[in-house]
Amino acid sequence: MMLFSRTIGLPVITGDDATSLGTVRDLTLDAAGAVVAGVRLSGGPDRTDALPWTAVAAVGPDALIVRSRHAADPEQTPLPAHHSPLGSRVLTDLGTEHGTVQDIAFDAASGRVLTLYTALGDIPGARLLGLGSYALVVRAQP
Amino acid sequence: MNTLELASGLSGRVVVTLGGEAVAQVKDVVFDGPAGRITGFTLSGRGLLAGPMKRSLPFSGVHAIGPSAVMIAGETVFEDRDAVVGRGEAEHGKVLGAPVLTEHGTGIGTVADVVVETGASGRVVGFEILAEDHLDRRHRKVFVPRGEALAVSGEALVVPAHAQHFVADDLPSFAAQAEAFLTHTRRPGGGRPS
Repeated sequence: MMLFSRTIGLPVITGDDATSLGTVRDLTLDAAGAVVAGVRLSGGPDRTDALPWTAVAAVGPDALIVRSRHAADPEQTPLPAHHSPLGSRVLTDLGTEHGTVQDIAFDAASGRVLTLYTALGDIPGARLLGLGSYALVVRAQP
Repeated sequence: MNTLELASGLSGRVVVTLGGEAVAQVKDVVFDGPAGRITGFTLSGRGLLAGPMKRSLPFSGVHAIGPSAVMIAGETVFEDRDAVVGRGEAEHGKVLGAPVLTEHGTGIGTVADVVVETGASGRVVGFEILAEDHLDRRHRKVFVPRGEALAVSGEALVVPAHAQHFVADDLPSFAAQAEAFLTHTRRPGGGRPS
């Protein structure tokens, strides 16, 4: 299990030649699939500003390891539009507000979203429906 | 769980897709008076300078009306403004401000607002009536459940003479009355059209 808040800011290092691609600026969600789809980078040497989650080999406490520079090429896998989930307003599909996203727990290997943490309580990742510029939408509790 | 709200309170509410994008805000609620339903919403853009939109939202495209937002599946549910307004605006314009009469022909006030059930139902459950002197000296708002109204048209609302019994200071106490009333009418064979 890994947290968004702990992943953001990690150095991004390639596993095959141990070079830096910058640091993690943010993570991009595929909200409909409830998975982390990609990594937004900052401070990289060669203008790579995003890479697909499929390129990630491991997320450790001190670095995010990318399989290779080649695998990190975002042209290969188009990423969904990026909206920063942390701090986003949470709405249920019934139109009720549910605080804001404080943190997100995800499975580092699969990228699956496990739990959304809000000030009003935890929401299982499986209830994610969408994320846009206005809100993160979750299925209301039955 | 559906709660009750005044239709006027829906104006300005943000319209959000399940994908999390705010695409419009509610301008006006359009009713089908006799059928007792919301037909849809006219829309305006978001922000100070945004004007009315050409597209509007038919109620069939509403996922849910919530306290913070009206949720829709996506912008594809929008229809041309005429498709929604043509069906109901004439009724809506006249229901608000229409005189309220008892079955004995005494005027008791005017329709001030419409009480709707939120969630996915869009039912009109009652009317808020601005009472005249002889009904309530303190000029409180009177809520009348829709099923208690004997007849609704664009021209007037006719209610039973005992409408005073429904004097309620606020919507929550009306909600309790309406809940009891709806439970009664929803029972199979309850007899009353709802």
